[in-house]
Amino acid sequence: MRSRDGNLNFSLRLCSIVIFSSLALCADEYLISYKYIVKDATLYNENLFISKAMTKCQGNPQEEFILQNSGEDSLKKLISKNSEEFIEYIHKLGLNVSHDEKTTNLQNSYTTVLTLKTTCFKVDFNDNFAIIAPLK
Amino acid sequence: MKYSILITLMLSASALLATDKAQSVDTAAIEQTNAELSRVKAEVAQAKAEAALATTKANEAKKESAKIAQELAFVKAEKEEELAAAAAAEEVLRKNKTIHISVVGQGVAPMNTSSPAQAYALAKRAAIADAYRAIAEKVKGVRIDGQDTIKNMMVQRSTIRTYVQAMVKNADIVETTFKEGLCEVEMEILISHSDFAQ
Repeated sequence: MRSRDGNLNFSLRLCSIVIFSSLALCADEYLISYKYIVKDATLYNENLFISKAMTKCQGNPQEEFILQNSGEDSLKKLISKNSEEFIEYIHKLGLNVSHDEKTTNLQNSYTTVLTLKTTCFKVDFNDNFAIIAPLK
Repeated sequence: MKYSILITLMLSASALLATDKAQSVDTAAIEQTNAELSRVKAEVAQAKAEAALATTKANEAKKESAKIAQELAFVKAEKEEELAAAAAAEEVLRKNKTIHISVVGQGVAPMNTSSPAQAYALAKRAAIADAYRAIAEKVKGVRIDGQDTIKNMMVQRSTIRTYVQAMVKNADIVETTFKEGLCEVEMEILISHSDFAQ
């Protein structure tokens, strides 16, 4: 017959396994890319592409970001609700800057393209929040 | 006897005539020599004067060259000082040290915005891109390409192209201002040696 302590230990282990496995099951992987173009000091075009990863991504999660969630299970909707914060976070992750400026007969025009190359993100959905982190 | 006296007289007369002739020849030669001498003296004096003038000119030239050399040395010293100051001002990324870079990006809102809020958001995005470009320019540098077309001694077309390619991360927005359609974003970035360590 097992002691009371042994049963408690076993139940704690079981609970933790269940919780962690549920968390792991809830974690999805998404491919996100972002690009915006500024032409002559005016925003010209902006694209944010989100797609569910079809194959498993490699790497470990880095620099997590918490998005406030009100029961959404779609990342697109979640990001559209917190777009400003998410874009600020993407900026922090790092963007490729490509600037091309042309001055012809003293008339200047330029195009700046900021790009986040397609990156795999791990997203853990919870009731009130979602944790998103790039896999590197 | 008569003949002998006559011959003596003739000889003495011829001797007298000969001395007169010689004397006249000598004075002409002396005069000529004197004239030549005076001419030579004048030439020498002129040459001396010319030499003195040349010496003064040479001295002046020497002085001028010394002055120019001094000026050159002064300019060189100034340039060296400037370079030293520039080297002192230019920060070098060393181990266990960080470099703080601060830039201001500008952006304007498009004409066809539906609300002031949208105008602000779009202008801010453009200003952020400009600030990122400025950071990239400062940290990585700019590639510049210039082309001038000249036809019949006249510039037909002058083109300057600049390119910036970089990857910027961890840049922070310090301040954002939006006035009369122009948005200014002050952005800063801290670069440490470890960011570039492979």
